[in-house]
Amino acid sequence: MTSRQIISEFILEPGTGKAIELLKGQILRIEQVEGGQCADFNCFNLHDYKEFMHCGRTRTVHGFHPTTGTFMWSAPPRERAMLYILEDTVGRNDVLFPRCSAYVYEAAYGFAVHTNCHDIQAEAQREYGLTPDDVHDSFNLFMCTGVDEDGHAFMTRQTSKPGDYVDLLALMDVLTVPNVCGADVMKTSNFALKPLKLTVSAASDVDLAKVPSVPILASQRTPKDFRNPIIKTDRPLRRDPAYKAEFPNTPIVITELPIRLTREEVAMFNAVKRTDIYGDDDAAALRDLLFSWWEERFLQAHAGAPAIGNP
Amino acid sequence: MTKIVKLRLNQQQLELIDRTIAQGVAVDRETLVRLALREYAAARKADTVVETAR
Repeated sequence: MTSRQIISEFILEPGTGKAIELLKGQILRIEQVEGGQCADFNCFNLHDYKEFMHCGRTRTVHGFHPTTGTFMWSAPPRERAMLYILEDTVGRNDVLFPRCSAYVYEAAYGFAVHTNCHDIQAEAQREYGLTPDDVHDSFNLFMCTGVDEDGHAFMTRQTSKPGDYVDLLALMDVLTVPNVCGADVMKTSNFALKPLKLTVSAASDVDLAKVPSVPILASQRTPKDFRNPIIKTDRPLRRDPAYKAEFPNTPIVITELPIRLTREEVAMFNAVKRTDIYGDDDAAALRDLLFSWWEERFLQAHAGAPAIGNP
Repeated sequence: MTKIVKLRLNQQQLELIDRTIAQGVAVDRETLVRLALREYAAARKADTVVETAR
């Protein structure tokens, strides 16, 4: 396809959200109408809701503010790239904060009822049979956040303008759930609730060619690989008397590996070993050095991130 | 004076260093550890020189 073809358009009114099916190769544009509005966003594998977008995995791979050229990943053990951020005209999104909730507005502000992203997400995805317990931490589009010196996450005002947008390209069939963030008494959306425009399009060949390749690995497991693939349908937890633990690579077995260091090597080791952590335990200090060296020499991305290459 | 340090590694850690050896980085485990020490120390020495020069 040489150009994008618009499939549907929708205005998301303040206080609301919408579950939208987005098939592989389709693009969801989330666009500012008046500017300054945060959009909380979640998504599920359309054919298996137990696979869902995971902010923890996404922030490990792409940092606290994923933008153009990054992916939204599903939770372990699936860990697949679900969506690709094709374009982002602002470049400031958040995966630090969870969705805001009714509890926050009651505890901090005294509201008996208040628009909040958890309940909006829950109500929107109810159209597809999901429950409030199925809402996951949201990817917060246009939300301006950071971490202060004490290690606390903070949010501040945003600078998005009318017409700013984020384009999300589906890499698998997904149910997307965007919502207008319910926070009007916080800085998140500059103290107002405003509509957002949603547009679903079929991607062009140019769009599809922009997606970098990501590795497909054996560790990306699906229910066919699970020892227990059955979704539990009742609420209480009861011990399975037939359970027998099968943890991988256990028992952990230690092997001693003597390393004879020359005088020169002893001097090198003494100069760099981490006595601040390991004291006089040279074996632990040398093990630290060995794997620290390995990380520096062989890791191709941030710790825990896959190597993402060109298409 | 030479010194023997008895590294204690589990099977997963040994698998990683054995795969690294299989890539041709070193001929055996002890050689790999000594290469790691030399490269790690050299990198810190270079860092120190840069810091001192500033």
